[in-house]
Amino acid sequence: MSELLELQRSMMQWLQSESGDIHHKVLGTEKVSAETRLAIYANAYRYRLIDALSDNYPSVHTLLGDEDFYNDGVEYIAAYPSQHFSIRYFGSHLEKFLAKQHQDTAVLAEMARFEWALRDAFDASDTVSVGFEALQTIKPAAWVALRFTLHPSVACLNLEWNVPQLWAAIENETGQIPFEQAEYPIPWLIWRNALKTYYRSLAVDEAWAINAVMEGKSFSEICTGVCEWVDEAYAPERVAGFISTWLAADLITALDV
Amino acid sequence: MKLPSLGFGLGLRKEHYQAILDTSPAVDWFEILSENYLVPGGKPLYFLDAINERYPMVMHGVSLSIGNTDPLDFDYLQQLKDLSERINARWISDHLCWSGLAGVNAHDLLPLPYTPEAVKHVATRIKHVQDFLERRLLIENVSSYVTYTQSEMTEWAFLSAVAEEADCLLLLDVNNIYVSAVNHEFDPLDYLKGVPKARVQQHHLAGHSDYGDYIIDTHDHAVVDSVWALYAEAVKHLGPVSAMIERDDNIPNLAVLMQEYEQMKQVSASALSESVQDQGGAHV
Repeated sequence: MSELLELQRSMMQWLQSESGDIHHKVLGTEKVSAETRLAIYANAYRYRLIDALSDNYPSVHTLLGDEDFYNDGVEYIAAYPSQHFSIRYFGSHLEKFLAKQHQDTAVLAEMARFEWALRDAFDASDTVSVGFEALQTIKPAAWVALRFTLHPSVACLNLEWNVPQLWAAIENETGQIPFEQAEYPIPWLIWRNALKTYYRSLAVDEAWAINAVMEGKSFSEICTGVCEWVDEAYAPERVAGFISTWLAADLITALDV
Repeated sequence: MKLPSLGFGLGLRKEHYQAILDTSPAVDWFEILSENYLVPGGKPLYFLDAINERYPMVMHGVSLSIGNTDPLDFDYLQQLKDLSERINARWISDHLCWSGLAGVNAHDLLPLPYTPEAVKHVATRIKHVQDFLERRLLIENVSSYVTYTQSEMTEWAFLSAVAEEADCLLLLDVNNIYVSAVNHEFDPLDYLKGVPKARVQQHHLAGHSDYGDYIIDTHDHAVVDSVWALYAEAVKHLGPVSAMIERDDNIPNLAVLMQEYEQMKQVSASALSESVQDQGGAHV
C-alpha cells in the first residue's frame, strides 16, 4: 500500500470514528498538541455535515431541538456517510433514518420527507410550461389519447400528519401547534412556479389523476380512473378541471397526442 | 503563460443576488462556488445567468479532490465543464488537498503529505483533469492544522513542485498562507518568495477565527490587518494579480462588503506604488 493511501485510511478512520493510528502520523508543537490539531478536523467533519442537514431540514431541526438534532446528526453521519461530490445531497436518507430512530414520533420522518421534497422542487430542472393556447390546438378526437408531461419539480406526497401546517408555523414563526394525525393520509402537491416553491393539499381524485399523469396514463384512462369517485358522465369535466388548474399553475410542460 | 488578469473580484453569494442586480456594483468579476450551481435548475442558475450577463466569472470548486486515491470523478468533471461553458468561465480553480476515501466524501479540504509520492500522484491527476477540461487549472493552497510525519518538504516547495510537474496555475490564498504560517510557525514571506511567480493567477483574501495558539480558516469575519499586510507583500513580490474576497458565513450586506473590496484595491495600489518606488530607487 502506498504511504499516501495508508495515511488517508488513518485520517478517514479518525474522522469517522475518532480511532486508529493517525496520532502516530502527525506532529504536535509546544503550543498546539497533535490531539488538538486532529480534533479541529474531527469537529469540522461533524459540524459541517450537521450544518448541511440543518440547512436542508430546518423544521426537523426545530422539532427535535438543538441537542437531539446534533445527537441524531452524529448517528446519521455514521449510518449514511456522504457519498456524493456535493454536500447538497448528504441528507437524502434522513427520512429513512428518522423513521427507524424515532418510531414513536413518526411526524419527524414525514417532516423530513416534506422538507426534502421542497428542497428538490427548489432546484429541479427549468422547463417551460405550456399555456391554455396549446390545449386549444388539440383536436377533439385527439383528446382520448392525450398525455401530459409535468414540470420536473412536481411531487405528490401522502402525509398522515399535519406536517405542512407545522412547517408553515415554524417557517412563519407563528408559534407552536400540536402534532395531529389524520384518519387517512392526505395527498399534498409540491411544485415550483418560476422561482417560488408551492404546496397544497389535493382531493383524493385529483391526487389519483396527477399520479396517473406521472405514470403516463392518457386523458381517457384518467377519466376512467376518476370514475371511482365521480359519476362517469362528469368524469371528463372533472379531469378537464384538474388540467385547467394545472395549466394555470404552470405544471404542464408538454402535451403528447 | 498566465491568463489575462481580471482585476478585483468578489465571491458570489446568494445573499447578494438581488442587490447585485439592483445596484450593479463596481466589481470587476465574480467568483462562483462551482458546486452551488451543479444543480438541475431553479433560483441558483437563474441568478447565475442574470449576473453573468453583466460580469465575467471564474469558477472555484471544493469537490475535485485532486489528492484522493479514489479514481477521478468524470461525471463531476463533465458537469464542471458544462457549467464553465454556460458562464464562459475565465478559469477554474480547486484546492491542493484530498477530501475522502473509498467513495466517502468528508467534505473537507484535508492537507496532503508533502512527499515526492504525493507530488507525482497529484500532478498526474491535475494533468488528466486539464486534458479533460481542455484548459489549465488553478490549484489553491489550503489552510492546515496538522503536519504529517511523512512530509519531507515545506508546503510551498510541495505546491511549487506540483505546479511545475503538472504545468498548472496557482491560486494563492493569502489568508490560508497566514493561517498555516501561524499554525505551523513558519515565516509567510518565505512562502510568498518560494512559489513560482509566473504561475500565480489569482489571490484569495478572507477572514478567519483566532483561537490564540492557532487559527481556523472560517471565512466568517472581515480580512484582518495582518492578512492585509501580507497581501501587500504578495503584491510587492508577485506584482498585480487578480484578487478577490471570500465570505462564507456571517455574511454582511453588499455595501459593507464593497468597503472591504475598496480596501483590497487600495492595499494593492499602495503596494504596487511602493514597489515601483523601491525599484526606481534601486536604479539611482
